[in-house]
Amino acid sequence: MLLALKRRYREEVLAISFLWPALLVLCGLLLYPLADVVRLSFYESNLQKEVWVGFGNYIALFNDPLFWKSFWQTVVFTAFSVALHLVIGLALALLLNMRLDPVFRALARGLLIVPWLLAPTVAGMIWVLMLAPFGIINGMLSSVGLIDANFAVSWLGDTSTALGSVTAMNVWRAFPFFMVMLLAGLQAIPKQLYEAASIDGATLWHQFWHITLPQLRSVITTIVLLDSIWTFRAFDPVFVMTGGGPAHASEVLATAIYFDGFQKLRFGYASAQAMVMFLVLFIVSAFYVRRAMNANQ
Amino acid sequence: MQTVLMGHLGLRRRERLINAVAYLCLIVAIVIVFIPLLWMLSVSFRPNIEVMRMPPTWLPEVFTLEGYAKIFSNPRYLLVFFNTALVSLLVTLISLFLGAMAAYALARFKFAGQRTVLMFLITTQMFPLVLLCIPYFRIFISLGLYDTRTSLVIVYLTFTLPFCVLMLRSYFLNIPRDIEEAAMVDGCSRLGAIFRTLVPISYPAFIGAGLYTFLLAWNEFLFAVVLIESWENRVLTMAIYSLMAEFVTDWNAMMAFSVLASLPLVMVFIFLQRYMVQGMTAGALTS
Repeated sequence: MLLALKRRYREEVLAISFLWPALLVLCGLLLYPLADVVRLSFYESNLQKEVWVGFGNYIALFNDPLFWKSFWQTVVFTAFSVALHLVIGLALALLLNMRLDPVFRALARGLLIVPWLLAPTVAGMIWVLMLAPFGIINGMLSSVGLIDANFAVSWLGDTSTALGSVTAMNVWRAFPFFMVMLLAGLQAIPKQLYEAASIDGATLWHQFWHITLPQLRSVITTIVLLDSIWTFRAFDPVFVMTGGGPAHASEVLATAIYFDGFQKLRFGYASAQAMVMFLVLFIVSAFYVRRAMNANQ
Repeated sequence: MQTVLMGHLGLRRRERLINAVAYLCLIVAIVIVFIPLLWMLSVSFRPNIEVMRMPPTWLPEVFTLEGYAKIFSNPRYLLVFFNTALVSLLVTLISLFLGAMAAYALARFKFAGQRTVLMFLITTQMFPLVLLCIPYFRIFISLGLYDTRTSLVIVYLTFTLPFCVLMLRSYFLNIPRDIEEAAMVDGCSRLGAIFRTLVPISYPAFIGAGLYTFLLAWNEFLFAVVLIESWENRVLTMAIYSLMAEFVTDWNAMMAFSVLASLPLVMVFIFLQRYMVQGMTAGALTS
């Protein structure tokens, strides 16, 4: 009994001796700053002075049409990005999973992953150039007669197309993640399931609905949750491509927080917005964490 | 008999047709996906006056290395490459070292609070990074570390370290502990056993986690914008952005810079694709 206790105690000491550096770093980098943001969200603060305002920032926030605008635009940006990632990623994964030449398959997969290697900043820059009035997108559209070459569209300069253009770039850059994950998921489905189904005379469409999709459900749920979180907090694409403009038409929460904090130096107000964002992400994360924890047990 | 054979042949033909369609669709997809990349390359090799010409052409009329020359002749830009490589490398090494230690503790021992630590690590990957910018900015100013490369090495650990811990932990869990225990019976210390058995065996996980960490650090933008001010300490993503903000029309230099900034990652990817994809998938499925 005593020996068992001693042994157990020894394990704990050993575990902590290995664990403490990483935990210390992460607590310092995450928990302390989080506490600081919570505190700051109750103050009016620039770099010089801090004045306690209670819930003032939050009340101002909920009455600020700009906050709601950027909030809903973040939701739209996230929803469209994730949905298109899923559709494109799944289509390409299904194609790559067919009976192809192994060399061609490896090559095609490798080539299709390349956009995902680029920094969002670099990808954003390329798209700024392509979407400019003199850019190749207008060039291609006018050569097939979809737009008039003399009235080139300024995709990023128009309030009705700015957010959509940023979404398009984001879809292009991040779909490979879905493709790779879903391909791995497809390869894990036992072949016998399909053999049995085709003996029973099931069509390809039936097999897709009744075997492929149910078998992929767990992977799809995980990556949709993850991608929603990552896209909801994304800063680089919008900041680089439009800076939230024109007239806030592509503003998302991350850029709004940045501009409030680092341009207008309203750190308290920016912190309150960051807290709202944190709470939204926290709720979505809770689902993800529960899944990940179950998988880890 | 003949009808059965005919039916079989028809099936084979149908299958071949479907396969041909698959090849065709994939080739079309690759072409579409590569349009932005080819456009980047094409613009990087043409003079600036040709960039704004309507209608745009795919191939430059005058082929020039002017854009690349502007990057290579400016020591400022070369310094930016050095800074990025230095920061990314340091972040990768620190993340792997601290991450491996924590992963070992989580994979090999049972202790109170293990579940909480695991949950904390998974949650940290979901954190809105823009939230952290505000306190980081204030903290690093008061520490006197604002506008230093050190500050970047520290804050990048926020998102690289949890990932490394989780990925290495799941790999360690699949390696039987008998191997280390045998080494310890043979007279190795625990650390000696870890370095002689566990670390060499799990090299794919180290490469995968290391490459993914390096990629994340190399491509990071938000913290760099918030924490770095002077040109001497800038990293790539930020330098490219300021190039756009400062000289709106210098497109060939910007695209040349983008090509050069992406090239190292693409080269590494070509040779170590297997490990990199492993890191990419492990980042999502930490089980």
